[in-house]
Amino acid sequence: MSERGDNSPGPTAADVDPLGDPFLRTCFAVPVPPATFLRRRRLVEHLDQAPATPLTMVNGCAGAGKTLLVADWAAHLDRPVAWLTAGATDQAPGVFWAYLLEALRACGAHEIRDVGCPAEAGTVDHGLLARLAARLNARDRPVTVVLDEYDRVSAPEIADQLGFVLHHAGRGMRLVLVTRTEPTLPLHRYRADGTLTEIRDAELAFTPEEAATLLELHGLRLGDDAARALVERTRGWAAGLRLCALAARQSSDPETYLKEFEAGQSTIADFLLAEVLKRQPAPTQDLLLRVSVLDRFCPDLANALAGRRDAEPILAELHRANAFVEHLGHSWYRLHPLFAEILAAHLRVRFPSLETELHRRAAQWLRHTGPLPETLAHGAAAGDWPFTARTLVDDLAIGQFFTGLRSGDLGELFSRMPPETTGPEADLVRAARELSDGDPGHALPHLERARRELARAGSGGAAARLGLALLDTLAARMTGCPDRAERAARTAGELLRDLPAELPRKHPELAALLQTHLGAARLWAGRFEDAGTALRAAAAGSDGATALSREDSLSLLALIDCLTGWPTRAERRVLAALADAERFSLAEPAGSGLGHLVLAAVALDRDELGEARALLDRATAARLSPWDPVTAAALVIVRARLQLARNEARAALETAESAVPAAVASPWAEAHIALVVSAAHLAEGRPEPAVKVLRDAVGQDAACTVAAARAHLAAGDPGAALDLLDALPAGQRVGPAVTVRALLVRAEATGRQGDHATARRLVTRALLDARNERLRRPFQETGPWLRRLLDTDTFPRLPARPGPRSGNEPEPGHPPALVVDRLSDRELDVLQRLAQMMTTEEIAADLFVSVNTVKTHLKSVYRKLGVNRRNEAVHRARELRLL
Amino acid sequence: MRYEIRVDGLMSETLTKAFPELDHVVMSGQTVLFGPVVDEAHLYGLLARCQSLGLRVLEMRRIPE
Repeated sequence: MSERGDNSPGPTAADVDPLGDPFLRTCFAVPVPPATFLRRRRLVEHLDQAPATPLTMVNGCAGAGKTLLVADWAAHLDRPVAWLTAGATDQAPGVFWAYLLEALRACGAHEIRDVGCPAEAGTVDHGLLARLAARLNARDRPVTVVLDEYDRVSAPEIADQLGFVLHHAGRGMRLVLVTRTEPTLPLHRYRADGTLTEIRDAELAFTPEEAATLLELHGLRLGDDAARALVERTRGWAAGLRLCALAARQSSDPETYLKEFEAGQSTIADFLLAEVLKRQPAPTQDLLLRVSVLDRFCPDLANALAGRRDAEPILAELHRANAFVEHLGHSWYRLHPLFAEILAAHLRVRFPSLETELHRRAAQWLRHTGPLPETLAHGAAAGDWPFTARTLVDDLAIGQFFTGLRSGDLGELFSRMPPETTGPEADLVRAARELSDGDPGHALPHLERARRELARAGSGGAAARLGLALLDTLAARMTGCPDRAERAARTAGELLRDLPAELPRKHPELAALLQTHLGAARLWAGRFEDAGTALRAAAAGSDGATALSREDSLSLLALIDCLTGWPTRAERRVLAALADAERFSLAEPAGSGLGHLVLAAVALDRDELGEARALLDRATAARLSPWDPVTAAALVIVRARLQLARNEARAALETAESAVPAAVASPWAEAHIALVVSAAHLAEGRPEPAVKVLRDAVGQDAACTVAAARAHLAAGDPGAALDLLDALPAGQRVGPAVTVRALLVRAEATGRQGDHATARRLVTRALLDARNERLRRPFQETGPWLRRLLDTDTFPRLPARPGPRSGNEPEPGHPPALVVDRLSDRELDVLQRLAQMMTTEEIAADLFVSVNTVKTHLKSVYRKLGVNRRNEAVHRARELRLL
Repeated sequence: MRYEIRVDGLMSETLTKAFPELDHVVMSGQTVLFGPVVDEAHLYGLLARCQSLGLRVLEMRRIPE
């Protein structure tokens, strides 16, 4: 077995599959035809026409010789071939595409290196498929993609996705489907276009001449008539002919056996397999029956199942004789799919109770050498649940319930675990399932039971304790218990130090999940610094296993930016998170929709209400209920602030009443809800309660202090407002969304006290500070005083705001835009040419002006649009419908 | 729902064990498997099982309860 690698992006060695399982590499291996394989020229020639058509379909019944035909053809091609035995992978689209991308990389299609890779089982992002198709389209030589056992790909969306990629890859990809059933691609359209090469059962059937040649390869000679009779009886079915040859070879008089071969009334495969099986020596029969419970096996594993030592020569001989066994390379074998089914039926008849025991032995053997999913599958099939749960937990793979390509599989597998299974690991698995369903209430009893059992066991069980600590951290996050999260994370850190280093390395998602949940819990407690430390650590990864945690932690970091008044920084972070999520095809919006909530809050501060509302809708469409108090609180706050901005103060007050269930209160959540309540009172002309509601938060939170000052101002007490602002600690690192508001309150207060020069100076500073962040909401909040001031004086202008978009009704009671700077005609001329990707020199030549003049125009365009770069200017101008 | 599946040829006792949920009867060179079918998924699963055992399905029909 080779080393499992990490899933680092970039060129992967050919011996690491996307899930880090060397074992499943066998599904990228082109099967090797046995010595007795007959190359049939007419079929190869038909396949050779395949490069002319984008799609080739080889479909026929089990044992018709499809796979070997295509494998032999592919081995002689002078073009790269990406082979994927699709039946060997999980059925979810995300997994299918992860494997297909890996198959492409393995065959040397390096241009798809940066296409990305799905990190979730259930989904593959459309953008990823589009990127893949575009990269393939750019190839000068087509890559041939063979999907064997395509009939076992059941997800209907995979067919659509394949059709899409095939269409858009143009001449860069040739797809060969090997299948028992018609795929759900629009075949009639391909046939009508003449873009489909088809080889079906009738063509796959052996002719009498071919049958005679095949038997010769098996050392049997047959006359024309006998060959014709044989083909008639077997209908030229490859598997039937092979079995005939085997049965004949083992009889005393092969010629006569073949001449008199008569399956009678029996079904051929059934009859012949029984014939061939009963002629094998007893040890071989026993071995064949036992390995029928396995998808693939190596001699050592076969020995473990049969309790023998001589599987290797037996398997080699069977493969050489072209009987039952196919060689997958790397000394792994599998049974011919047709015979596997029939052998399994024989096993049940001969040894009715052995099946469970065989699964148990397979699980035991695989536990030390094989890939985890196979081990778990056999453990579950054996009904040995304590073993299965322990295997998962000891491998430190419990985090896979919450991330990665396996989460759906694991949930499905362990849903069959009966309630009477005991042991700390079983309880941990149950807790993980409840938590991944977003139900900490039901998870907690399981966690407590696991804790008691581990305590009773005394020492040892480091992996189980680590699993418990991880789930504890998550449960603490979901229930809003920061202290508990700290304790659990500390325990986890100590345990990680004591474990052998390769285990945590194998599961990078474990540390990422821990840090993310810890960060979220700290954020709830209002400890932004410490939260940032944990979240930045969680966001540092770059692989698929940690993609979900990465998006989660980046969204939480963006929320911290937002709460401390840095909207642009928050926006950048969320956009980075979304771009990363797209690379890994995470469901959109992944996680909790927190990222979109943050974007909505940013849009609110910029007074882009339609945008904010659309984003809020997207965030809430993701889930019916937010899954942790941080998100729940953010949702309440953003929703209430949007209602305030739309002059629905009463509705905002009602929203602010919404309960956010959590064990301990969160200072920032309370403060920001108090902010909304205070602003709602002010909007309805009640300054007294507006002051009162903020009393506790003043001094704790800069934004609240500023809001309290505003309330005092509204109550007619500019002195009190200034006192509050003066008391603001200078060292707090709050961003422009807070400082601009503070400047405006101070300006109004000094203005009221008669110092108009200072007031004007302060307003000017506020406008300048707000420009780069495109902050407009703070100016809307100040009311008529500022409007009068701005009307009487010249001030620096704020960047223009996007006009009303189609589909957005005008906001009710929305005051007209404050300060909008129109672009001059000349500036518009320059902007239009900028959008056509012209250089500064080209624009100058086109407009008959100097380059310097163009640069001056550009500067003022940037200033008026509130941007710093060309592409931003064009983007912004499109938003504003200026182009 | 109850279904019957008619297969070409006589199935051995062993092979019929691959359909533990169905009864079978042999007539004129054909085997008829019959019994309760839970839902669509089960039905298609039975068809797939026939295919993977190399059986030729001649007829498949729903029978009145």
